[in-house]
Amino acid sequence: MFDLQTLDKYKPIDDKMYQVMDKDGKVIIKNWKTGLSEDDLVQAYKDLLFERTADQMAISYQRQGRMFTYPPNLGQEAIHIASGKVIKAEDWLVPAFRELGAWLAKGVSLWEIFLYFKGHEDGSKFLNAARMLPVSVPIASQLLHAVGLAYAMKYKGEEAAVFGYVGDGGTSEGDFHEALNFAAVWDVPVVFVVQNNQFAISVPLKMQTRSKNLALKGLAYDVDSVLVDGNDFLAMHDVLAFAREHVLKKKRPFLIEARTYRRGAHTTSDDPTKYRSKEEEEHWAELDPAARLQSYLVSKKLWDPKDEEALIAGYKKFIDSEFDKAEAYPDYKLEDVFGFMYQEMPVELKRQMNNYQNFMNLEGAQK
Amino acid sequence: MRYMFKFPDIGEGLEEGKIIQWYVENGQSISSGDPLVKMETDKVVTDIPSPKTGVIVQRFGNVGDTIHVGSALVEIEMEGIAGAEAIAEARTEIPAAHKEVVEEKGFGVVGTIEVAGDGAYLPSSGEGLGAAPMPTAAPAPIPHTPSDSLPSSVKVLATPVARAIAKELGIQIQQVKGSGPAGRITRKDIEQYHSSKAYLSTAPSTPASPQTEQAERLTIKPLSMIRKTIARNMIRSKQNAAHMSVMDEVEVSALVEGRARLNQSLQEKGIKLSYLPFVVKAVAMALKNHPDLNAELDLEGDRVIYKNYYNIGIAVDTEDGLVVPVIRDADKKSLLRIATELAEISVKARERKLTTADMKDGSFTITSFGSIGGYFAVPVINYPQVGILGVGKLTQKPVVAGNEIKIGNLLPISMSVDHRMVDGGEVGRFLNEVLAYLQDPLLLMVNLGGEN
Repeated sequence: MFDLQTLDKYKPIDDKMYQVMDKDGKVIIKNWKTGLSEDDLVQAYKDLLFERTADQMAISYQRQGRMFTYPPNLGQEAIHIASGKVIKAEDWLVPAFRELGAWLAKGVSLWEIFLYFKGHEDGSKFLNAARMLPVSVPIASQLLHAVGLAYAMKYKGEEAAVFGYVGDGGTSEGDFHEALNFAAVWDVPVVFVVQNNQFAISVPLKMQTRSKNLALKGLAYDVDSVLVDGNDFLAMHDVLAFAREHVLKKKRPFLIEARTYRRGAHTTSDDPTKYRSKEEEEHWAELDPAARLQSYLVSKKLWDPKDEEALIAGYKKFIDSEFDKAEAYPDYKLEDVFGFMYQEMPVELKRQMNNYQNFMNLEGAQK
Repeated sequence: MRYMFKFPDIGEGLEEGKIIQWYVENGQSISSGDPLVKMETDKVVTDIPSPKTGVIVQRFGNVGDTIHVGSALVEIEMEGIAGAEAIAEARTEIPAAHKEVVEEKGFGVVGTIEVAGDGAYLPSSGEGLGAAPMPTAAPAPIPHTPSDSLPSSVKVLATPVARAIAKELGIQIQQVKGSGPAGRITRKDIEQYHSSKAYLSTAPSTPASPQTEQAERLTIKPLSMIRKTIARNMIRSKQNAAHMSVMDEVEVSALVEGRARLNQSLQEKGIKLSYLPFVVKAVAMALKNHPDLNAELDLEGDRVIYKNYYNIGIAVDTEDGLVVPVIRDADKKSLLRIATELAEISVKARERKLTTADMKDGSFTITSFGSIGGYFAVPVINYPQVGILGVGKLTQKPVVAGNEIKIGNLLPISMSVDHRMVDGGEVGRFLNEVLAYLQDPLLLMVNLGGEN
């Protein structure tokens, strides 16, 4: 469990990282207890496997030309799954773009996510997920929205938190600093989660900052901050659960640097072999979050790896069916470009729409 | 039911990709998600999985072929529908109807319209060329000169009047360089081209001259990615560096003898040392005393970037072309380790398994062309490095020792350097040190230092 005393012990200035298990899934903190039930732990691992399977299949769909550019999640799933266990229905989830498992936990359907990456804006409707913003491609801009949402909740007297996500690259943006500053000045309940996956596309962390860690950046704004092993599900869950309570009790923001590694490409248009070494990739592969959680569960006799193959086969069928749903979704009409600009269509837009329709009737019909 | 799978744009704006390897045969069953083919593109080298479950009726394209985005890759008979029939058919000739599909061009979002002018072609950066000798290549523009190698089916942008005039004058419009927006060919361009009569030397000028005649006299093949990259890098080197070369030969009887002895004792380990590890080691050791040759000149930045590591690139000849994998920290490695790594990289190079990581961050290059043939040469610098050292063919020759003529073992060394960065004196001193190490390998042992 993570509490105020623990927070005091893991000072960012000392560059100390909160970690519950070692790379073999062995708990390294004396008398440590989890806040999760055995069922929760097993479910978390299953969720992680599901995220990983869906992620791999998404890349495959993209390579088949059935989906556009997609950002893989491999290696960062512990952060997402732990978030999913902590974030409540009344909380806001403000994503960057690489938090697949957390979105699913919030209630977003996989087919909607596929639809979004197929370029259809209806994929951001999130029919079954309340209080989640759409993906934000302009880096770090979403954190200002997170602060705004928290300010609104404070104004209305709601007892809930906002979880805003950003990458290490995002901390180099002005928006990140503005968001931290306003969150602190306004005393609002935002948990900033920095997924430090070591690279802003191809730019390594050491070329982005002189700070020895990113949690330090919170201190400048008087935001309580902690550095945590983002590949350690148990540690991530401890810290996120503490952070939620903390921001609600203290009415203050909180910052988590989750140190992790993007094991895949930045997106499907990226080739990471150009900017990082095999040795580095192998080093991080040994710290893989799935393997560590699995080892922990196996040591507690809660899991048998034999069951995984059948489980994943079932997931694959389901994921395929979700993708079919996304593919069967009707295309949006180009007329929509005209339709949603104004409540009543101005003359000029009407003229343009007529031109377009005439074109489609004549030449487009031959398509 | 048949499904025609077309090569998708997998990297935001790709135009084409090259087939590296097929994973499937005609007639083979496949599940959706299984890999079909490995493709090399401007952005990534990646496997393309099958979108359908079924049987491969027909693959389109062979290894090495360039496939345009939107062109057919494979035809799949989808599961459950006349599967057996598909297999039977797949083993016979391609039906004519399918050939038509292959020839279909210019559909898909990206399309295949070629632009005619240099300026209108936006080259990709050096990204994604997995097998490029110099992955740090700056985005040098690809010279895109229309030539008679362009097939007449290539589409160009041109005004209607320009097309009409070109037809009238019997000019192949693909040959003309456009000066209009996006390289559009205008009437003026056609007229200029006609008056320059440039077309007379490059292409048949009259429509009466049939294409087939030309086809017999010439074989036209598309440029491979790797050849393109080599060409670009060579031009970049020659245009930017002030090449200067120096040659010398060194008497290496001691090395010949020493190597033979070493190989005898290494025999049981199954290792055979060539001369190259000695050269690599000698160069790495000498570079430590001559930092200017292990550096990079940044003229725009008014500075010199010295490399505090000694990563020696080794030019390896492969069927596809030259690649330059790197022996990292050669100064710290034993001869044995260098020999092992050399063996590994040359196997990897020949099997096309080198990754960008294997080839980046070289600080100096060695080319041992003598293993194939040639005594002296003028090597081209692996820009932006400062120097390259070439090793020619070890040859027995008469040498004067004392007042006698003896049979000597002579190793010819050729070196090119960037004179902008170093002068002849420094190169001479460097070369003397390298030659001294090769002449007396014991000297190499004395200065070996470092770890394993």
